[in-house]
Amino acid sequence: MPMLSQEVRQKFSSIVGPERLKTSPEDLLTYAYDAYVLEYLPEAVLFPKTAAEVRQIMKVACAHKIFVTPRGAGSGLGAGSLAKRGGIILCFTMMNQILEINTANRYAVVEPGVVISEFQKELEKLNLFYPPDPGSATVATMGGAVLMNAGGMRGVKYGVTRDYLLGLEIVLPSGEIMNTGSLTAKDVTGYDLTRLICGSEGTLALVTKIIVRLLPKPKSKRTLQAIYDRIDDAGDTVAKIVEAGIVPATLELMDKMIIKALEDFAHLGLPLDAEAVLLIDVDGDLETVEKQAALVADFCKSQGARDVRVSQSEKDNEQLWMARRSAFGAVARLRPTCVIEDATVPVSFLTRAIKKVIEISERNRVQIAVLAHAGDGNLHPLILCDQRDAQEMQRVEKAMDEIVDYALSVGGTLSGEHGIGIAKAKYLPKQLSGAALEMMRAIKKAFDPQGILNPGSFLEYEK
Amino acid sequence: MMAKEIKEEVYNCIKCGLCLTPCPVYKQLYFEAASPRGKVQLIKKILEGKLEASENFHRLLFNCLLCETCSVNCPSGLQVDRLMKAMRAELIEKFGLAWPKQLLFHLLASDRLLPFFLTWGRTLGNTVLSLMPQRSRWGTVPYARLPRLNRKFLRHQYPEIIKVSKPKGRVLYFTGCATHYFFAGVGRAVIDILQRLGIEVIIPREQMCCGLPIFLAGARQMALRNIQKNIELFNRQDVEAVVVDCATCGSALKKEYVHILEEMGESPETAKALSRKTLDISQYLERWEVEPLLRPLRARVTYHDPCHLLRSQGVKEEPRNLLKRIPGVEFVEMAGADVCCGGGGTFQWEHAEVAFGISGKKVETIRETRANLVATGCPGCRLQIYGNLGEEAVEVVHPVELLARAGR
Repeated sequence: MPMLSQEVRQKFSSIVGPERLKTSPEDLLTYAYDAYVLEYLPEAVLFPKTAAEVRQIMKVACAHKIFVTPRGAGSGLGAGSLAKRGGIILCFTMMNQILEINTANRYAVVEPGVVISEFQKELEKLNLFYPPDPGSATVATMGGAVLMNAGGMRGVKYGVTRDYLLGLEIVLPSGEIMNTGSLTAKDVTGYDLTRLICGSEGTLALVTKIIVRLLPKPKSKRTLQAIYDRIDDAGDTVAKIVEAGIVPATLELMDKMIIKALEDFAHLGLPLDAEAVLLIDVDGDLETVEKQAALVADFCKSQGARDVRVSQSEKDNEQLWMARRSAFGAVARLRPTCVIEDATVPVSFLTRAIKKVIEISERNRVQIAVLAHAGDGNLHPLILCDQRDAQEMQRVEKAMDEIVDYALSVGGTLSGEHGIGIAKAKYLPKQLSGAALEMMRAIKKAFDPQGILNPGSFLEYEK
Repeated sequence: MMAKEIKEEVYNCIKCGLCLTPCPVYKQLYFEAASPRGKVQLIKKILEGKLEASENFHRLLFNCLLCETCSVNCPSGLQVDRLMKAMRAELIEKFGLAWPKQLLFHLLASDRLLPFFLTWGRTLGNTVLSLMPQRSRWGTVPYARLPRLNRKFLRHQYPEIIKVSKPKGRVLYFTGCATHYFFAGVGRAVIDILQRLGIEVIIPREQMCCGLPIFLAGARQMALRNIQKNIELFNRQDVEAVVVDCATCGSALKKEYVHILEEMGESPETAKALSRKTLDISQYLERWEVEPLLRPLRARVTYHDPCHLLRSQGVKEEPRNLLKRIPGVEFVEMAGADVCCGGGGTFQWEHAEVAFGISGKKVETIRETRANLVATGCPGCRLQIYGNLGEEAVEVVHPVELLARAGR
């Protein structure tokens, strides 16, 4: 692949204008990273504002075989939005309008650069609700969430991004604009391409418009903190809650190390002597919420919780969840680098999986803080290290291998929600059969015969 | 050379990106190098010798309000603003200062030139200013909305020691340049209310500019004399407190002097002692019962948090409490009161387009409150907000001015 020629630059510049074509060393360096540890330098960064611009850019890229990697806010955890083989980054942060919020039919149409939490704030004013709530919701964009099929804390009750998509406007690598889905909640016309694009990590097409379905905003909410002296009891509680048919809106587990880091940051009076805390939200109409909150509190106590605190106000709720959202950043107080594992297990294996993680961490002499979207078995072991220490990084890699092997051995998955990117590409054959990989490659080829979109991603990763 | 502990900060950034959305500058520009995360990563590359500190980098580094929003939002606890300030100081030799800044800082750093210049400015400048095309702007602020110089500078209106019979307390008053030269009304309000409370006020004659505009531009060496002189004058044991009416001067006395002296390898002990004594006027007044002095004042008032008061000094409730204590005042909280107004000292002039966008949002939220008064304890915010209000019939005041009005 040749470096960008003067001619190509000129063409790009005539499409987006010189202001939205960035090529200075400073600009390129700041698009060489995401929230993962590796860096890849792009050759240019373009900021389209319309689908028409994206189409023109792709026509040029297609004609000159230029690699194109889409990017939102760059909060990803697996180098998914980095220019792994060079080429250009298409950054969607300037294409960020909420185009329509339709209260009559309860859907909304947004551009890909809209920040998730800002969209949610707008909806809240209209008593509407878009549930997917990844930890990075205050940074991450809707486009990024679609391409990564972002999950988050409300997954246990409300599902993930995929479950709210009605349709998309996409631009194919050839430059053709195509629509998928419709404005209706039910739609079985043809293959479900919307959900194929969702979670494709930007390897099939570029998203320029997103239609999501909305829910009425739950009338009330309570946040409970169940405090445990033994992490096993916390894990067991989670499995039992799910088994008992109680459906909390969120069910998060954090261990001692996370509690300490969050307390250092947010000073919320979290119990520093506890071994684990479950953060549990129940939502719905007031009566149900009160009943459920009491039920969950009793349940936790019966499973060995030392104490259960119920939040008294919306402000307390917000502070707790703000702190939880900051967990990834807050652990940097302990060590400079953090690699997040994202292996997910069937929820009944949660306690065993946590035990296994602790055992793996001790045996490999790496520091691991355990965080989990516990309700759906989605573990987030945070491996704390310093990437300047090569030996330590080798041990980290070994620990990751072992965690993945364990998750797969009990019927789980490599990644619950962060995606494969290149961080986990090498594990792909462990989970997917040869036939499945072949099928995926065929799909990729159908969309992107030249292989110019997000090259070096999971299907073609070579160490 | 940058201090070691500041350098090490770059390795604590985990690149989570939580600083992007809250950053007012990023939210105008939407590209990474404008964000705190982007700047931290670039500084890291420069410190590691992998990137040259180019003109472009220099421009990016100064495309920042130093509002400290990133520092308080950083879950990893990075002191982003300290890193940026230290980097600015690193670059001063390479890039120097643009001539308008040279001139301004030379004035601010001198105890003779500044009064001389502004005394002439008073007779000539005000006239010139009123002859300027009133719709033209200095940065984002129309000439018509720039403040005029005081007819008599504040410190010349009072003796050095303002005695009261049977004093109940005694404070030193750091007037700052803005109050001394432009907003004498604020100073008179401070002195008035303190006098009526029975507090002896001492206004050291030789006080200098706090130096913050100079050292935040990176010219630390140039500001050193201001810092030392002010510490010498104000670090006194025989007073209860050093009161300040300007958020920016307050943050200099309370926080920046200590950091700068530490980072320059000077002893920070006297600066620390001064820091412990320094109080914003709203904090100091919390100690006193002002209600008996006040008569009802009919006004709908909202409050804007200056960055240098809220984030630099952690003062949030005190000014609000002060306003709520005035009988008759209807206090309304504006949405995003803690969001920077877009002023940022010389920022609004160097990056007018970005500042316009930020200030526009601020003015919109003020409008939504339907308040007829905006109170804020920072002359920079005052200038910026008033300058961007358009034809709105909204007045911008210091909280203490309202207190004094109610006291008449």
